[in-house]
Amino acid sequence: MKYTPRRPVTNVNVSPTRPLKDFTILAGGLLAIVIAVYLALGLAVDLIVPRLSVEIEKKIGAAFTGVLAETDGLTAAPPPLQKLVDRLQETCVLLPNPVSVHIQQADSINAAALPGGHMVVTTGLLARVTSENELAFVLAHELGHVSQRDHLRGLGRMLVLITASTALLGADNSINGMIGQSVMLTELSFSRRQESRADEFALETLFCHYGHVGAATAFFKKLPQESDPGRFGHYFASHPENRLRIDHLRRLAEQRGYPSGTPRPWPDGVIDTKNY
Amino acid sequence: MLDLIFFILLVALGYGAGTWAEKRHYRTIVEREQAMMNLPAVTLKSVDIPPEKIRSSRLVHGSAVISVDYFKRIVAMLRNIFGGKVTSYESLIDRARREAMLRMKAMADDAAIIVNVRIETAAIGKPSNRKSIGCLEAVAYGTALVVET
Repeated sequence: MKYTPRRPVTNVNVSPTRPLKDFTILAGGLLAIVIAVYLALGLAVDLIVPRLSVEIEKKIGAAFTGVLAETDGLTAAPPPLQKLVDRLQETCVLLPNPVSVHIQQADSINAAALPGGHMVVTTGLLARVTSENELAFVLAHELGHVSQRDHLRGLGRMLVLITASTALLGADNSINGMIGQSVMLTELSFSRRQESRADEFALETLFCHYGHVGAATAFFKKLPQESDPGRFGHYFASHPENRLRIDHLRRLAEQRGYPSGTPRPWPDGVIDTKNY
Repeated sequence: MLDLIFFILLVALGYGAGTWAEKRHYRTIVEREQAMMNLPAVTLKSVDIPPEKIRSSRLVHGSAVISVDYFKRIVAMLRNIFGGKVTSYESLIDRARREAMLRMKAMADDAAIIVNVRIETAAIGKPSNRKSIGCLEAVAYGTALVVET
């Protein structure tokens, strides 16, 4: 047999590829799947949350507020504030379990509902309140979130996000760190629809409790226009969305014939904001 | 965020440097294969040369270790999820094998033929450790026969 030296014309062992195209297709496909799973789990959260029992909510809340109390320095609310929430709950807001109020020492103007019957109000918010009615509106707004279980929805979606990023990138990745740092209050931001439902809830509560809706939107309007929206931007009149919210509340009050009235004063120093 | 920037930088670096190194390597492989084409390396165990004409026979071997670049590794990892041909590693193995063959031929020097050639590949680095160095060794070995002219 004669041996003829020659080089092979084509290389059968290496497929002709476009590596960048390959990479784009694979990475894009993976990303699409992750997004689809995230959306699906988010939907699942929305389905599960209304069916959660109060006991489970309390358990979730216990884990959650414990961490918050440590990191953000929460203290129990003084009696006048707690009593106001209790009165609202007794008369107009029917919730399965009582809500306890906590104070957070912060200049930002903020209030948030947490799972398990907890509510956080910042000293910055309390310092700017002048009438009981406007404070009651803010508190009733948060009670609205509690009754709609919006906080659990927010928490559930956040957990889904953390789970997805952990499964994909490992436990110690930047997305988890990012969520972890701002996990507590910021991530409990709600959708526009949830906010407007809580607003409506607050307006009804105010009418039910006081017989009029005076000062309902006062709190939105009196905040300084240029002030820093902070982590929340929840109650700012300068925000265009909040102007819509004010208009919406006014229209609603007109439609339902809620009268306006003189708000009860909320004297300075009822809550000594310096000492918390 | 910083992690993500690092990741993208590494992928870009891996793609750039990896592609450049691969092209350069293939150029030298083709050149040397052309130059050493007259030294046959075959898998046959015996050849048609009268025994008295064979002056010497000795073991020759060549080995090459080629590393994967970051880009190829990521593409392979993605392939790992979806399945299919891991085309990004194909050129790697091809390069390692051909380089090993060329080194073996270089070792054979004045031989007329290399018989009983075998090629083996081995992964370097512990497979259990995910962060181990991803590279591949190819070893080619055979018996070089020096023939009287």
